[in-house]
Amino acid sequence: MGNVIREEKKEVQIEGTWDDYIKSYYEKPSSSKSWSGFDLKEIYTPEDRPHEKYQKEIADSGTYPFTRGIHANMFRGRLWTRREVVGIGSPADTHERLKYLSEHGGSGLNTIADVTYEMGLDADHPWSVDEVGLTGVNITSIKDMETLTKDIPLDKVSWSLITASTAAAVTMAQYVAVAENRGYDLPVLKGSIQNDPIHFRYCGFRPACPLDLSIKLGADVMEFCTKELPKWYYTTVNMYDLREQGITAPQEVAFGFGIAMCYVDELIRRGLDIDEFAPRFTFYVSCHIDLFEEVAKIRAARRMWAKLIKEKYGAKNPRSMQFRFAVHTAGCSLVPQQPLNNIVRTSYEALAAVLSGVQSLHCCSYDEPMCLPTEKAHLQALRTQQILAYETGVTNVADPLGGSYYVESLTDRIEEETLKVMKQVDEVGGMEEAIRTEWLDRKFESEALKRQKELDNGEKLVVGVNTFTTEQEKTTPLGVQRVSGHSATQQIEEVKKLRRTRDTDKLKEAISRLRDAAGEKKNVILPMVEASKAFGTTGELLGTVREAFGYPYDPMETVESPFN
Amino acid sequence: MAETKKKKIKVLVTKVGLDGHDRGVKVVASLLKEAGMEVLYLGMYQTPGGIVKAAIDEDVDVIGVSYLSGEHLVFTPKIVAEMKKNHLDDVLLVAGGTFPVEDIPPLEEMGIDRVFRAGSLTNTIVQYIQQNVKR
Repeated sequence: MGNVIREEKKEVQIEGTWDDYIKSYYEKPSSSKSWSGFDLKEIYTPEDRPHEKYQKEIADSGTYPFTRGIHANMFRGRLWTRREVVGIGSPADTHERLKYLSEHGGSGLNTIADVTYEMGLDADHPWSVDEVGLTGVNITSIKDMETLTKDIPLDKVSWSLITASTAAAVTMAQYVAVAENRGYDLPVLKGSIQNDPIHFRYCGFRPACPLDLSIKLGADVMEFCTKELPKWYYTTVNMYDLREQGITAPQEVAFGFGIAMCYVDELIRRGLDIDEFAPRFTFYVSCHIDLFEEVAKIRAARRMWAKLIKEKYGAKNPRSMQFRFAVHTAGCSLVPQQPLNNIVRTSYEALAAVLSGVQSLHCCSYDEPMCLPTEKAHLQALRTQQILAYETGVTNVADPLGGSYYVESLTDRIEEETLKVMKQVDEVGGMEEAIRTEWLDRKFESEALKRQKELDNGEKLVVGVNTFTTEQEKTTPLGVQRVSGHSATQQIEEVKKLRRTRDTDKLKEAISRLRDAAGEKKNVILPMVEASKAFGTTGELLGTVREAFGYPYDPMETVESPFN
Repeated sequence: MAETKKKKIKVLVTKVGLDGHDRGVKVVASLLKEAGMEVLYLGMYQTPGGIVKAAIDEDVDVIGVSYLSGEHLVFTPKIVAEMKKNHLDDVLLVAGGTFPVEDIPPLEEMGIDRVFRAGSLTNTIVQYIQQNVKR
């Protein structure tokens, strides 16, 4: 009972008094713990990290267990992909921004679905009309995919499609349909699709991502790409979004691996050999604000994934054992107070990613906690990457922090803690069970609460939030990105027109073949490609498969199937 | 002891529309509870009409809406209109989440009593509610 909100340890400091100035001179850091809560020593020495384990546990980059990186020469062989996430308004608006970033030195295309598309809703769905394009791009039919990819040489670029939910199966089908219509052979297509529906139930897309359907459709994409698109990375298991729930670094790795293994197990159940598919398995990782801990986390993750794939799954090909990953700098570490400071935070986080040997990087724009990135903010985020890549010299040497007594010791510590969390998951019956029983939900909730309390009581300091606060700014420094209402209206009208003008008989046939495939538990991607070519919409394709699995056609239970 | 003369402040917190970022709203719900308030979290995928109906049914003193997907300017007028239609003039309406600072004046003009951006500390929210609850 009563008020249990703890008083802040530190009074909120207002800048500018001499008393504070004098006090600051004698100030010590307020914490000697890592972000995830590890107690740290003043100094680490050879005692903390015996060198005799070098060959077995660390090894040179390019050598198992890949702790130091998956390539021997790392960035000397190829820079990381400078890939900023883009998704705003209509497919045409998004295409414009893609073009803008590519003209300014972006090296990988990266488009993100909006909430409506991720939920599997068409632009004209009653729940969509207010939200189309607010957080990304909605692709309702291949007409939209054609607009998005217009004039872009799909055999030359590397495209990262961020659709994570069960709608990823539709995105893959739409991309393949457009590529085939434009005359490309599938094996030339290069890129990745996020396709991690399991994790996406924790991002608010539970109705679109029931567990069985998530595993089924996730694995369908993986299996299809393994066979048809040899240069395609068919999943990016999203540890980043999990971390954004407020969990610690070891939990990020443990829960991410748990979800990854759900897919790996399913592919093996389907009769695929681990070495047939594992080389195209990738991850999306957070880089939070504690630089050394993040580097250690990624080094530990690389070592652990290699061991897991080799020892648990019996892989023989070293490429199967390589932990490939993209980094998204931590959106939740950014705050709207004194927003330009976010550029600095993101720079440290991006540095952590690069020091960890990242394959592909998205830097948050400074306006992340306020709105979609403005063009200027987007460009600035790309510039952060370019300054790292071209000015700082961090690209010269692989794993530059390797051999640091501290970083090696912290890498071991994270591995140890991650194994403990993985054991907890095993004890509740494995990841699928942890999800079904909502054990994982409760973990996220209790950790998020801890994080807020750490801010409230000053255990963790964030400049502008609980220390060095100033009055609220009146304007956002580089302006505010608005989503054009006109674009949304136009897209909705286009979809309505498409429904009136498409060949209904042809569509019905394609939908019926898709329904049969889903009913017979066959891979549905090819029938989805055919249905996309017949101008079936996202909602229609996904709804048809959902029904075959006993779920309502519409995840929001508002619209009925037009095919029954 | 708990049955003092003053009744507990009753707060409804909710998401609206399709926005799925619910880490913040759940944390706020727990912290308001710890601060002695009675809290009802409606969950995701709520409509303005549904939120206001729940507020009436549960006889709440405060409605807190969480916005993190740029949908605040779309849904706020709809929620306020529903509140007016149902004469909820004495219910405090607060919003939290991610928005540009430029949107705070229009949100307040639309009828939100107070906007808490990301990075707000718990005691700021608790104190505001305790001091401004209208009934």
